[in-house]
Amino acid sequence: MGRTVLKVDNLKMWYKTKMGYVRAVDGISFELKEGESLGIVGESGCGKTSVSMTILRLLPENAEFKGGHIFFDDGNGSVDLVSLPEDEMRKYRWKGISMIFQAAMNSLNPVYKVGDQIVEAMLNHFPDMSIDEAREKVAQLFQLVGLDPKRMDQYPHQYSGGMKQRAIIAMALSCDPKLIIADEPTTALDVIVQDRILKEMKKIQQKLNMAMIYISHDIAVIAEVSDKIAVMYAGKFVEFADSVTIFKNPAHPYTYGLMHAFPSVVGPKTELTTIPGEPPNLLNPPKGCRFAPRCPLATDECREREPEYREIEPGHWLACHHPIERGKEVKFDEK
Amino acid sequence: MKSDDIVLRIENLRKLFPAERKIFGKVKLFVHAVDGVSYEIKRGESLALVGESGCGKTTTGKILVGLYEPTSGRVIMEGQDVTPYLFENQKGAERYIKEQYLEKFKNPPSLTDDFDKNMYDLYEKFGKNDSKFINHFLKDRKKKMIEIRRKVQMIFQDPYESLNPRMTIFDIVAEPLNIHDIGTAKEREDMVAQLLEEVGLSPAETFMFRFPHELSGGQRQRVAIARALILNPSFVVADEPTSMLDVSIRTGIMKLMMRLAQEHGMSYLYITHDLAVARYMANRIVVMYLGKVVEMGDIEEVLQHPLHPYTKALLAAIPVPDPEYKRGEPDIKGSVAKPINPPPRCRFYDRCPLAGRECEKLPHPDLIEISKDHWVACHVVTGEVKGK
Repeated sequence: MGRTVLKVDNLKMWYKTKMGYVRAVDGISFELKEGESLGIVGESGCGKTSVSMTILRLLPENAEFKGGHIFFDDGNGSVDLVSLPEDEMRKYRWKGISMIFQAAMNSLNPVYKVGDQIVEAMLNHFPDMSIDEAREKVAQLFQLVGLDPKRMDQYPHQYSGGMKQRAIIAMALSCDPKLIIADEPTTALDVIVQDRILKEMKKIQQKLNMAMIYISHDIAVIAEVSDKIAVMYAGKFVEFADSVTIFKNPAHPYTYGLMHAFPSVVGPKTELTTIPGEPPNLLNPPKGCRFAPRCPLATDECREREPEYREIEPGHWLACHHPIERGKEVKFDEK
Repeated sequence: MKSDDIVLRIENLRKLFPAERKIFGKVKLFVHAVDGVSYEIKRGESLALVGESGCGKTTTGKILVGLYEPTSGRVIMEGQDVTPYLFENQKGAERYIKEQYLEKFKNPPSLTDDFDKNMYDLYEKFGKNDSKFINHFLKDRKKKMIEIRRKVQMIFQDPYESLNPRMTIFDIVAEPLNIHDIGTAKEREDMVAQLLEEVGLSPAETFMFRFPHELSGGQRQRVAIARALILNPSFVVADEPTSMLDVSIRTGIMKLMMRLAQEHGMSYLYITHDLAVARYMANRIVVMYLGKVVEMGDIEEVLQHPLHPYTKALLAAIPVPDPEYKRGEPDIKGSVAKPINPPPRCRFYDRCPLAGRECEKLPHPDLIEISKDHWVACHVVTGEVKGK
């Protein structure tokens, strides 16, 4: 594989509130190479959307960087996005890193033609481009995402939900980004439409050799699109590995619980796992391991000392004092 | 089978919504949200109603709890025709009785259905007097409406919106008791406390006098479940009760609902778009497409051996939580259309990969039982038409 596009190093971003700091992103590290796709899976409030917003620096005023670096390399040398002034940062957004937001299809302006909206975004980033050139490019992008280029001159209300989402993907690709971040782009869609969009995204990502971060709470969707998976819990990555390892040999009890909590339509009907309790409040996360209060394997050590995030075998990172051995079963206390 | 063993029977249920607004003249365009749907739920059994958004599954649920009036069709609950009580005003109920029974009674030999025959006996008892027969249904109508609503409860999708933020948990769960005037204050408190414990909000005293905003999503959904169960309903319409919850919380709610169904001998009409969740929550499944039932039967049988091309496509499109699993390509064209005055042919015709030439001319196919408790509505699958 090629060059490293993104290197996140011990990134910390907290939100300041009246009650104290919410530790949404609390010491996250990972690397992403060209053509790789990383899935970040976690429950609501675990900080997965904050990670993407931090990378793009699209943060509210109460957000504060508490340390770490985001090295981004678009082919012209690596820069640390954290220390970049805002006007420099703007050049990287959309051109270097683009994003497909949750419910992005509602972000199309209803009174402009869809094609014109994409052309406008392109002209903003490439002032030298002529309108005809831009329209030509948009027509190509429409074909790439499986939309009829004739639809460029239609308005958003003439599109179905799936078509709007395709247009948004075309828009995200319009400035040839090196990295694309997709935050639950298919959650609002029906399964058949979702299936088409997922396949399209995977195809385009491989064809253009882009790096992709795919964020979702749905591990089945993550399994479809990602080569590597990061499992996030309470502001931290607890496990990181290639997708087969995460699914077949999860070492963290939380990963194990998530994998076994998901019903499937194929294969035998297995017993589903329930993880007791609720995710912690990030205003005041528990001392020691943040999963300890819900973990069936937790010991006093877990409650006292935070486990280190370390590489347990090549490419497999873990933060746990008591990793699950291969093939072992874990029983969660259901009460 | 005794009719008592069937908790709910829906016959040819239809609901049309006007698709245009007119000040003068008749509305001619209608959205056929539910268009001739029939199925039944046996006691202790749960039925999953699945399909994509806009297929009419939520509309069906809302008709059953009395939130929408049916356009036509009959709903029988525990051996009693409750349709007259699903109408907001008396006129609708009267019209229904005339259309459903009195029209048919003009020609008694045509009655084939046992239920209709029983009704005819009743009609004879009233000396074949139309107004006496109608009155039999309409007297105490309000009282009967309340009784029906007691038997059917609903759990909504979004626990952040279905609980009144200004009421305490106790008030929320006890409100059905107030409305139906059950028990003394002390008894109500005991009932609520016991039920809160049962749904896993324990100890109950610590939850009773808190407000919804103090609870998490999973806890709120437990409150919604307790509120639905406090009247001991015969069946519960559950409209995607777990789709807003996180994975680690969701299985807890699913298991709780299954346990309660067993303990209280109650049935669910479980409305969901997620076939995997349906598999865990129900014994039988009804797959809907644009207001019509396309496939129905034992859930494992339907999921393992789907017959209708739409069910097959739905199943093939579901992501599987296994990166090594290679699923097939969903074989389906185009996208869902709105069922506004749809042509009489098969609803799935425009998207169907199997459709033969004759499918265009034939009316929408009937549900046919292919094997034991496995029904499908498709001209090609049943062999009536040669497909592609």
